[in-house]
Amino acid sequence: MGKGLIIGGEFGNILVREKSDVSLELGELLIAESKGNKMLLQVFDLLYGSQLSQQQLELISGMKLEEDDSLELMDSKLRTYVLSRLKNLALLSKSTSSSAKTLPNFFTKVREIVKDDVTFLTTPKNPLLLGLLRSGSKVLDVPVSIDGRLALSHHVLIAGTTGRGKSVLMTNILWDVLDKDFAGMLVLDPHDEYFNKLQNHPKKDKISYYTPRSPPPGALSLKVNLSDLTPRHFDGVVDWTDPQRQALGAYYNAFRDGWVEAIIQERQIPNVNFHEGTLAVVKRNLMYLLRLDVDEQKNVVCNGVFDSTAGKTTVSDISRSLDDGKMVIIDTSSFHGNVEILMGSLIASEVLERHKRYELSDMKTKPVVSIVLEEAPRVLGKEVLERGPNIFSTIAREGRKFNVGLVAITQLPSLIPREILANLNTKIILGIELRPERSAIIDSAAQDLSSDERMIASLDKGEALVTSNFLSFAMPLKIPMKENTPQDNVKTNFGGSFLK
Amino acid sequence: MKFAHLSDCHLGGWREPKLRDANTKAFVMATDKILKENVDFVLIAGDLFNTAVPGIDSVRLAVEQLKRLKDNNIPVYFIAGSHDFSPSGKTMLDVLEHAGLAKNVAKGGEENKKLRLNFTVDKKTGVKIAGMIGKKGGLEKEYYDVLDRESLEKESGKKIFMFHSAVSELKPKELELMDAMPASLLPKGFDYYAAGHVHVVERGNVSGKKIVYPGPCFPNNFAELEKLKTGSFVLFDNSEAKHVALEPFKVHSFSLNAQDKSPSEVEKSLQELLKNVDVKNAIVTIRVFGCLSKGKPADVAWNDVFHSLYQRGAYHVMRNTFALVSNELEQVILPHASEGDMETALLYEHAGQFKLKNKDISVAKNLMQVFSAEKLDGEKVADFESRVCSDAEKLFK
Repeated sequence: MGKGLIIGGEFGNILVREKSDVSLELGELLIAESKGNKMLLQVFDLLYGSQLSQQQLELISGMKLEEDDSLELMDSKLRTYVLSRLKNLALLSKSTSSSAKTLPNFFTKVREIVKDDVTFLTTPKNPLLLGLLRSGSKVLDVPVSIDGRLALSHHVLIAGTTGRGKSVLMTNILWDVLDKDFAGMLVLDPHDEYFNKLQNHPKKDKISYYTPRSPPPGALSLKVNLSDLTPRHFDGVVDWTDPQRQALGAYYNAFRDGWVEAIIQERQIPNVNFHEGTLAVVKRNLMYLLRLDVDEQKNVVCNGVFDSTAGKTTVSDISRSLDDGKMVIIDTSSFHGNVEILMGSLIASEVLERHKRYELSDMKTKPVVSIVLEEAPRVLGKEVLERGPNIFSTIAREGRKFNVGLVAITQLPSLIPREILANLNTKIILGIELRPERSAIIDSAAQDLSSDERMIASLDKGEALVTSNFLSFAMPLKIPMKENTPQDNVKTNFGGSFLK
Repeated sequence: MKFAHLSDCHLGGWREPKLRDANTKAFVMATDKILKENVDFVLIAGDLFNTAVPGIDSVRLAVEQLKRLKDNNIPVYFIAGSHDFSPSGKTMLDVLEHAGLAKNVAKGGEENKKLRLNFTVDKKTGVKIAGMIGKKGGLEKEYYDVLDRESLEKESGKKIFMFHSAVSELKPKELELMDAMPASLLPKGFDYYAAGHVHVVERGNVSGKKIVYPGPCFPNNFAELEKLKTGSFVLFDNSEAKHVALEPFKVHSFSLNAQDKSPSEVEKSLQELLKNVDVKNAIVTIRVFGCLSKGKPADVAWNDVFHSLYQRGAYHVMRNTFALVSNELEQVILPHASEGDMETALLYEHAGQFKLKNKDISVAKNLMQVFSAEKLDGEKVADFESRVCSDAEKLFK
């Protein structure tokens, strides 16, 4: 259906007069066929246009308001209208899309997009479903997928104000990944929401769920053995002074697996002396952070997830599961911020180190690993990184070489340093009201979004704009709400006569 | 309430007669200690035997010891483990139960598409015991998936749950690849979780579940002899569990790095390592690893080392040389150690594809060397190019 006519403008800012009986929407996708080409355009701004001067318009409105409300303008459809500004998205052919480098002819009709126009949106090699193609508020029955291996290993940012659908989108992504074998997902879940949302997935057996609370049957108690900790894991977690850092290093070198217990039990390192106060502060910090106590016999009592007996294989089990393309969800809802960072740091370090050891040929075949970070600025924020790099900033910078990526979720992307934002090669943008937050994303997007600020501000719940190095243009999407029906998975044949 | 908790006795497990005897002694020793402690009952959390249908000697041993306990009015409750479970139910454990020597507590059946386990009540103490069998490869997990936990959890009174599985949260580092299940699959609210299967001496509290692995009655292989040194069982008395060691023989373990040593040097080092140790009536394990500078592992005079230990009264001597390799063997596998040699070999290998003479091959090799030259510090690009060209021209003169 024809929706308007091109009447002027310039490249990236094409002016279209809207047909009187239709309404163009911000973000709407339109097709202009000209010179044998099919061009995809998108509305980024709407404004009024009129044949009458401003003075005449003001006079007519006065007459309507003050004298006769039934007053009608003659040929009003011709004299007043809506203009819209369009940007060129792509030049389309049946199977491909490329950057547009020409303008359509003057007075070319623009029509609404239909399914047949987007046959170029083929399924990539390792499809990760992001949502359905959206034109303004209208949703097309066209699924949009991205190459999941590439996107996840090159980091993803999900940004949006609270309530705009970040969690729904993340759940959809996790749901889709569970069906595939190309990625292992580690979810650090501060709201303890994803495990429940994925409970009805037919492949829920691929999920390992760790929780420090009473775990439901099949889930694992989160226990990490103290021997798995090294001083390096506390980078970005505790702001140690140089003497304190030296003390940690010395105890680690002297006692190795038992270094934490050695500090807590105040054991001496032969021929090495530290200031009493230094060790006292280190001990106090470790006891508080790791929730340790000492009983009367000087035994270390473990009250939290860090344990001297249990959890000897937790970190390696998690790492191995991820390498097998499974999903590991860790309930961090009861942790203080820095304990969550410590836990994430411990696992992420192991994952990255393991991947660094792989041969290139293994790397090509093994699933990529993606680490989901809710409220990402807590570990990737400027303030945090000013204290020194941590494992997550390392992964953001060099993880893609080793097929380890991040999915950073935030409502405040401006808190993440620009060089890290630029490294998050796929950005899924949901509605963001605050201008500085929009600007942070627009400035670091894979495609030119300079004219999309208003459109981003107007994104409704479940509407998104995806920009990625692995998409030919910034795609407007609708995130579907999944109906996750429970599966009947009851075993009836117990077998074995021994139990009778 | 006072009870003994054993598991992984693996009667009949060792092939070596002396170590089989040691295993037997450990089991008898356990019975002696249990009788001395005058416990209310005994729990055996799987793998009493090494197979479902063990040899006659193992059966006789088990019957003798169980009879001693029965005669002293100490009931024995057991479950089948991954080694002595049989899907057909035809196991020696079944025979022991029918003879009234012990009671299988892994009893239950299907109810409303769930697996409902029954409690066995100990008459003396009123303690309620439920158990779950162990199967090879952790296959018992499918039973836990459909287990009616609610019926077990709502039962009142003192309760013990006996099982034969590795628990993920308590897996030892060296067994990280072992099949394991999360502790959450165990029913909640039991006073004691009597575990078996993993040969570790471990007591852990996972989500309020006190899970206890007593360790095997006697170490079951070379590595366990090295690590555990003794067998053990658990004595539970008034809510306190303690491990009791079973040491029929002392175990002395030695490890030697043989890297770059000759076979005679290895022997000398071993004799030196062992000379001041009292090996009388002890089991001695010797682990040698590394790459010999010359000769083969078989060239080490093992017999001399063993003979000297037996002369000094050792009960049994074992060696492990899986990680001892020979340098000579390495050279056979990788004859072209250096990069240059490899290149020469490859040039000869592919020379047949072209009309080349031997001299051409050496020219090609030299040419590769010339072209792999690097620009020197301070050398101009033009000078570097000229040097390389000149060196290359010389080869064709």
